[in-house]
Amino acid sequence: MTLGGACTTFGRQPMAQARTIPRGSDSGDARIGSGARVRGRIHGEGDLVVEGQVEGSLSIRGDLTIAEGASVVSELVEAQSISIVGSLEGDVAASGSVRLAASARVRGNLRGSAVSIEEGARFAGKLDCEFDLPPELGGASRAESRGRTAARR
Amino acid sequence: MASTVIGAGITVEGEITTEEDLVVAGTVRGKVSAKEAVTIEHGATVEADVVGGSLVVAGALTGNVTVHERVDLQAGARVIGNVKASRVTIADGALLKGNVDMEV
Repeated sequence: MTLGGACTTFGRQPMAQARTIPRGSDSGDARIGSGARVRGRIHGEGDLVVEGQVEGSLSIRGDLTIAEGASVVSELVEAQSISIVGSLEGDVAASGSVRLAASARVRGNLRGSAVSIEEGARFAGKLDCEFDLPPELGGASRAESRGRTAARR
Repeated sequence: MASTVIGAGITVEGEITTEEDLVVAGTVRGKVSAKEAVTIEHGATVEADVVGGSLVVAGALTGNVTVHERVDLQAGARVIGNVKASRVTIADGALLKGNVDMEV
């Protein structure tokens, strides 16, 4: 293990010396590995993949993936689109879509432009999804529903 | 392959603990503890005490460093803090303000 550590260090030297591309292509490269635990606040720009454990708030301008085996405990998770395969305890606010994969375990309220829950996913919480009801589902509240849609726009 | 990467646009305020490698290209404030190699890339800002297996710095680090193996401060590195490791290299162009303890 000791030797391996040293080799890794040497192997990475040229990369570390090379100039880090400021934002954009490089900022997409963020990952909390399976052996890692972060306690605190994570925020910023770029996509993030969580494979390990996160405790605290999570707010990014980019896509978030909570991978299989990952565990996130957070008051509020904010991102563009959020894909949950692991477990999450906390509220979710996505500007894009929220996807709960079959192995997802989620306790909290979900908000997004679209929410999908695959068969097998466990979810306890409230769903808040902004969409327009198709007219045939409007029923008695048809006019009201349409009125609200118009008001929103 | 690095296991945990804090990308250039990302800021972590708190504690990072990992059994594996850690690469910081963004900003970390708090505490860093890794079993394996820690890399602070050019353009990265770390304001934290760092404990690790080894450490390579090409960015800015403010905090005390305790590393089991070696510390390499590359050109462009700015380190303010005490460095404790059995082997330390400081490249031409690296800045260090603090004590070095090579456990002699």
